[in-house]
Amino acid sequence: MDIGPLSNLKNLNQERIVLIVAVLIFVTASVALPGFLSAPNLIAIVRSISVLGILALGMSVVIIGRGIDLSMVAIMAMSVAWYLQLLGNGVPDHTALLLVLAGVLAIGLLNGFLVAYADVPAIFVTLASGSFVFGYVRSQLISSDAVPVPEGHWVALLGGLRFASIPVEVYLFALLSGAMFLFLRYTKWGRYVYYAGDNPIAARNIGIPVRPMLVLRYVLAALISFVAGLLTAASLHSINTRVVNSNLLYDIVLVAVIGGIGLSGGKGGVRNVLVGAALIGIMLNAMTIIDIPLLYQNLIKSTILLFAIIVDGVLNPRDEQTAQQGDI
Amino acid sequence: MTPVVRMEQITKTYRSVPAVKDVDFDLAEGEIHALLGENGAGKSTLTKVMAGVVTPTSGKMTYLGKEVQFASPHAALQAGIAMVFQETSLVPSMTVAQNLYLGSENFLNRLRGTYISAQQFLQSLNFPVDPAAMVETLGAAKRQMVEIARAVHHKARVIIFDEPTATLTPEEKRHFFALLRRLKAEGVSIVFISHALEEALLISDRITILRDGERVATGPTSEFDRDKIIAAMVGRTLSDEIYRHHDETRLRKPGRKVLSVQDISMGAMVRNTAFSVFEGQITGVFGLIGSGRTETFKIVSGIYKRDFLRGGTIALDDRPVRYYTPAEAVRDGIAYVSEDRKSEGIFETMSIGENMFGGLLAAGKEDGLVIRNSDIRDLAAEWTDRLNIRTINAEAQVVELSGGNQQKVVIGKGLIQKPRIVIFDEPTRGVDVAAIAEIHQIINELADAGLAVVMISSYLPEIMNLSDRILVCRQGRIVEELSPAEATEEKIMYAAVH
Repeated sequence: MDIGPLSNLKNLNQERIVLIVAVLIFVTASVALPGFLSAPNLIAIVRSISVLGILALGMSVVIIGRGIDLSMVAIMAMSVAWYLQLLGNGVPDHTALLLVLAGVLAIGLLNGFLVAYADVPAIFVTLASGSFVFGYVRSQLISSDAVPVPEGHWVALLGGLRFASIPVEVYLFALLSGAMFLFLRYTKWGRYVYYAGDNPIAARNIGIPVRPMLVLRYVLAALISFVAGLLTAASLHSINTRVVNSNLLYDIVLVAVIGGIGLSGGKGGVRNVLVGAALIGIMLNAMTIIDIPLLYQNLIKSTILLFAIIVDGVLNPRDEQTAQQGDI
Repeated sequence: MTPVVRMEQITKTYRSVPAVKDVDFDLAEGEIHALLGENGAGKSTLTKVMAGVVTPTSGKMTYLGKEVQFASPHAALQAGIAMVFQETSLVPSMTVAQNLYLGSENFLNRLRGTYISAQQFLQSLNFPVDPAAMVETLGAAKRQMVEIARAVHHKARVIIFDEPTATLTPEEKRHFFALLRRLKAEGVSIVFISHALEEALLISDRITILRDGERVATGPTSEFDRDKIIAAMVGRTLSDEIYRHHDETRLRKPGRKVLSVQDISMGAMVRNTAFSVFEGQITGVFGLIGSGRTETFKIVSGIYKRDFLRGGTIALDDRPVRYYTPAEAVRDGIAYVSEDRKSEGIFETMSIGENMFGGLLAAGKEDGLVIRNSDIRDLAAEWTDRLNIRTINAEAQVVELSGGNQQKVVIGKGLIQKPRIVIFDEPTRGVDVAAIAEIHQIINELADAGLAVVMISSYLPEIMNLSDRILVCRQGRIVEELSPAEATEEKIMYAAVH
């Protein structure tokens, strides 16, 4: 039987390919680029992907459950902007926080409700709710594009917090990754995500509460967005709402998808997010050091994404022949 | 006479495992050639080679006297070999007419003209399908008709039917067989793959039997009978022990009444139907496709909701219930095993164990708060053993299993929830002969263990052999109850149709 090398090739799924590419770029950059392997730069890499990675965690829970949440960036920026605006207007901290949390929950519930119970495709629901959140908050609740963090507020202090010279968002990313891993792998509700993502009808038929779980995922994504927003504000000492119209949203999807979380649902996990985030982080950092213009960086990112998808498609064909070995 | 298609020494291997091995096959002009064998015997692979879907690893094929090697199904279709697939290959979001003419449209299409010619064409085949209907709104039987119509429309010289009758009602089957005979009279050669041996014996001119990828027998149909075919297919004779024939004394006596349904209605599909289900026996439900049998029991298991006003009552142990989700029914001990394994039954990307575990989780019967992979593995090992699921190892993915073994996984997923009422909807559709016997065995054991078992089927022998009482469904209501002792195929069909 000569399946030895073949089966090794078969084990090369997208996640592993991306990991190998990430390691290759890392090694090449370490050798070729002065200062790449220095401790401050490595910390910078991890820090640069922490917020993105946290957002990608939320996005992947939704994607594994066969959905997508395009309102994450809007929720992230606008909730924090509103929070900071309330603080600036002199509203007590706990009142402001409660108000904003209620707002975030409401949007998450609305997303989930419309997708689960009104059967509207997730992509439209979240696109609309994202625009709504941005438009409503920007026009009614805040007065300028960028809202600063008040002097001496805990969000500002959070930004300066370091343990062993590593910024706090890195720890938070690690913590949330761990929590998400435990949730998806070891808890009942976490497992439900996979069943519902693989085959929602079958999941419903055997008695899994598919719809409430769907709502839960969108609420989770909204809450994670809020956390990511707070971290962004903490490190920049202000929140710029124009980020809603940047390509951050696509970067989030990129991190999830490039790591091997299938958009068709039921596939992937936290590991895939970490691998995807590592690749993007290392690549962006290396390109910044080489001083490649931003336009070209986007070009390179998209090329690598396409490449990963094509290689995955070649190595793991999903046609009927290989999928249905039993029926021959 | 030279055959239309001659295949010599065809071998096709997947990952060095042969699916067919050195098979010779020939097809004469204007003959119906039945290709039989268990799932995994290589029938589909062999015919897919013929239709250009699969390229053989070795061997040669001649078509109309010339050696050919089709690069794609399209090339085969152009040459005149069409295949009607088991899983339909229609475009769901297009109308019947558009599907019919797919790939053979004129540069400019007149929608009305297409509908009119499609209408005429379908009528000439005696298929009652509306050409303007979207394919996604059609039931399985009508989709099959469209698929068959498409092959006929391409004026193919060779048509391969892969399990064409699995989704058809007896009435539709008669039309289908008449159509086959007409095609045959026109000189079309037909390859007919089926699990229904009676049909093969009835319609075919010759029979070829495959087992484990090799040809074990071929010859004129007159040389075969049912037992001989089964013996060749499985390499042994199946015992009829599990079937209790039409014998009053061997029927199970009804136990406690667990389910009593009064006058439930749902739109036009279920109309004022009433019946009861008892513990410790198998209630067989026969009905043609579209008779509302599936819908009725999907209401019972909470998948569909009955009409809110005048929807009737359902009582479980004399306690009125109204379910809004299947989860509530599962908690009350009702398990529903779907007729549509692929889209409503299995979790495709998962292993056997994960599929089973889903049932356990959903019923809230897992122990502890933490889910361990070892639990899932143990569960898979236990249930592959209990249901005799044939697999390389317990961690195999469900898609790697044959249809019959997938069905066992779906059944196991329901049984793991320790239900009191199990509803099987077409439990043996698309399942091979050996697995059918095993699934029947499982169903019998459940009833013997005191569970209330409901078995919906449009396969008459299954209904007659397994049921302890027979309900017949027609136009959305249960119209007749028969005892298997007095029931005959004619009586059941009469109740189902008239």
